[in-house]
Amino acid sequence: MASLARTTISFSARPAQSLKVTKEFFGSKTVSFSTRKSFSAGRLRSDPSRFQINCAAKAETLEKVVKIVKEQLALPEDAAITGESKFVDLGADSLDTVEIVMGLEEAFCISVEEENAQSIVTVQDAADLIEKLCEEK
Amino acid sequence: MLPLQSNLVARRLIASALPSLPPAPLPSRREVHLWYIVPNEIKDASLFQEYMEILSPCEKEHVLSMKGELHKKCALLSRVLVRTTLSRYTDCKISPRSFKFMKNRFGKPEIVWEHNKFGLLPSLQFNISHTSSLVACGITVDAPIGIDIEEKQRRPVTNILSLARRYFSPNEVQYLNSFVDPEIQKIEFLKLWTLKEAYVKALGKGFSGSPFKDFTIRFERSKDLLLTSEKSKIGELRIAIETVSDPESVATNWRFALVELHGSHFAAICIERDEEAPAIEQELLKLKVWKTLPFVEDECVSDTDAVTNICGLS
Repeated sequence: MASLARTTISFSARPAQSLKVTKEFFGSKTVSFSTRKSFSAGRLRSDPSRFQINCAAKAETLEKVVKIVKEQLALPEDAAITGESKFVDLGADSLDTVEIVMGLEEAFCISVEEENAQSIVTVQDAADLIEKLCEEK
Repeated sequence: MLPLQSNLVARRLIASALPSLPPAPLPSRREVHLWYIVPNEIKDASLFQEYMEILSPCEKEHVLSMKGELHKKCALLSRVLVRTTLSRYTDCKISPRSFKFMKNRFGKPEIVWEHNKFGLLPSLQFNISHTSSLVACGITVDAPIGIDIEEKQRRPVTNILSLARRYFSPNEVQYLNSFVDPEIQKIEFLKLWTLKEAYVKALGKGFSGSPFKDFTIRFERSKDLLLTSEKSKIGELRIAIETVSDPESVATNWRFALVELHGSHFAAICIERDEEAPAIEQELLKLKVWKTLPFVEDECVSDTDAVTNICGLS
């Protein structure tokens, strides 16, 4: 336990470093999180769960964006849309784009300025912008 | 013109070089020529292979990156339509494959006229628009042009008034609000949307360069006696545009027309007015329309059911 506690302290003392580690695991999503979940001490809970929320939230945001885009463009459930999918390649015309932006604003309770909307090329761009606007709230 | 079996012709196309396109006479200054393709009418896949050969490497890459066969088809036909249409107006001296394009600093596509041996070439202006079921290209000489098309049966807009309040001008919201029947409201919304898009595309400054909220498009009856119908004494319906910040200033340097195309689409056209034309000629647009399957068949449909004037045409 003592060593665990030390790990805990160093863990919370250097959150930046831990964040870096978490980001590297982002691709596999669950590897580090499930490990951290096994730590039960109270002090431990706040830090790993915060990182857990950050990355799980990013994945969740992307998933929600993809769902809204599929609905707006009337694409089938199993349509292969990823973060790298470009809106224009999915067949979204200007009216679709405007509706998607409005759908995202409603779903995430944010407001997207025209200039920001113009810079969205991929689905990931939209998810990133949403994350940014949510953080600023 | 005898309708040709597209598969017969397609086989001939593969065997030999692409036939030349019939040249088209240039539009006059206040005239717009509109060419369109109906993707669903192309049954022979080998025609698409020939069409791909006209595109630049960049355009080919873009077509292949589209998701789904339908979007690939429409992207391909868009480029084919622009290239073949422009070629017609150079008396086919410039082949479809030879055209080069660039985007202005706001992203509006323009022709790059390279130093050539053919002498003076017309100052062609063009603009494209497409849906999943129709691809259209508008052409003028000299006049900046913007066109936009939308399917009348487009999937419903989630909340028209919400969208209008967010993006349209207050007068336009009021106008849309006046329609109780949701179907009619949707139709009127699509008409306004296409007209606003056509204007912004004609200006060529991009969506944020000419925000939708800053201008009002409205339909009005002309009080000009010369444009009044003899029978009904009602003035011609026409489209006016004014800035929201200064409603008294009706922008008179742009002309609009709205037509129903192929029975299935709204097509809005916006061109810059010709200052030197006589006043009466400046009021309404002249439009000629062709339905085409490039290298296979062209059909002038101007005086047929395929083109129905909603307003703005002479």
